[in-house]
Amino acid sequence: MRRTLPTALVAVLGLVLLLDFVVINPTLATLSDVLLELVVLLAAAAAVAGGIALVVHHVAELAQRRTDPLGSLVLLAGFAVILVAGLYPGSAGTSDPVVRWLVAGILGPLVASLFAMLVVFLLRATGRGLQLRPRQAGLMVAAAFVVIVLLLPLGGQLGSWLASAAGFAMAVPIAGVFRGLLIGVAVVTAVQAARILVAVDGGDD
Amino acid sequence: MTEAAEDATPAAAPSPDRQGRSGGRRRLGGLLALGWVGLLLLIAAAILVGPASSGSALAVANPDRSAADGVTATLGNLPQSSLVLVAMDADLGTYPEIRPATHAVMADLLSRGATLGFVSVSVEGRALAVAELDRLRSAGVSADRLLDLGFVSGAEAGMVRLVDAALRPGMSSPMAALIAQRGGGIGAFDCIVVVGGGDIGPRSWVEQVGTRLPAVPMVAIAPTFAQPELAPYLRSGQLSGLLATTRDDAAYVDRTRPAAPADRSPSALAMLAGMMIALLVLGRQLLAAVPRLASGAPAVAEPEE
Repeated sequence: MRRTLPTALVAVLGLVLLLDFVVINPTLATLSDVLLELVVLLAAAAAVAGGIALVVHHVAELAQRRTDPLGSLVLLAGFAVILVAGLYPGSAGTSDPVVRWLVAGILGPLVASLFAMLVVFLLRATGRGLQLRPRQAGLMVAAAFVVIVLLLPLGGQLGSWLASAAGFAMAVPIAGVFRGLLIGVAVVTAVQAARILVAVDGGDD
Repeated sequence: MTEAAEDATPAAAPSPDRQGRSGGRRRLGGLLALGWVGLLLLIAAAILVGPASSGSALAVANPDRSAADGVTATLGNLPQSSLVLVAMDADLGTYPEIRPATHAVMADLLSRGATLGFVSVSVEGRALAVAELDRLRSAGVSADRLLDLGFVSGAEAGMVRLVDAALRPGMSSPMAALIAQRGGGIGAFDCIVVVGGGDIGPRSWVEQVGTRLPAVPMVAIAPTFAQPELAPYLRSGQLSGLLATTRDDAAYVDRTRPAAPADRSPSALAMLAGMMIALLVLGRQLLAAVPRLASGAPAVAEPEE
């Protein structure tokens, strides 16, 4: 019985939104708008609740000096700085110059640096993968090798030939695999959604 | 123990089978080394011979201009003084890759007399939208031609809500009045430019907004990793244009020729150097793994789950 009410709610809400998508009816549209408004508000509330839970968790970590007190301290300090910059009296919120500076001067470069290090981690991970599962990882590394060669920024006739080959690789084999994945994910999602909508997702009660 | 040390650990008395494997390893290693030399010769030939035939040995811009042509054609078909929605949902980490193309598209739109409305359904996208609005205002773009529609929570649900209600309460600029006059939702816009990179991106916009407003053309700018996922939407016509590789971005930037140095494409020489280092490391790792490829046996014990 624990999951009957949520399942029923999801089924009813899903059917209303689905019907609104295919049927033009003012009453249904109004109901759908109200439901969407509720979902948007719920998402905002969930974000706030998530932030509060994060702060509570790290305050507890800090108080009990558990795993990583320095990390918790940095996180809480960052949280406080952004909140103060965005909420002080007279602040323009996300458009405030202090928030803009914090994002452009600290957050942006930090995240970009992490992404720049991704290539180092990936290359290290391929080495580890080749040790653990040589055949599978070998295939992946060989494919990566070929793709990098095809994307080399060369000019002239060789560059044109490589670009054509890269276009073919992206448009045929890679796109084929991705299209298959997308269709597979869509089918599974549709089946799962249908199971919830008609309440046949067994084993709930 | 290092890989080299592992590989170098010999058996007490090598069997004929082991000797055969060792010979196969040497042959494969020789082939890989030969491939490497061939690749280096090809690149050297392109650098030395390329200028004579095409004028440039290295080029970031894709010689195949179809992606750039698609975006240019879509923007060229917009009416005079068009309303364009910029859905800024890029990711802080991958935005440097697509920033030149994003700036070039905005500059192109503004040069065609368009007015831009910015909206975000992701937090990082909102931070970038604020920065872009600030940059455009600093560059002298009139306030009447820019509109901040803010952040909308709820991800996909927020997008669906935007279809009917894009304006926030209390908005009173001439652009807001025009949007209100046209219905108040995304349908009021002549085109949507989706700047993606995070979890919520062009695919979500196509699925949630494109299906409800199929008549509004949608152009997407995304990092390279998203290209295979988005290419099917371009072929189906749900995306009118797509810039999703560094080379396509560079081709578009070259065409629009932005004046600001920060908008230039990355250096081809720096890209080539980075890619050659990656190839060198990958080639070395493949070479070290050659003896294990035949047997498929791991070099180290797999960690227990």
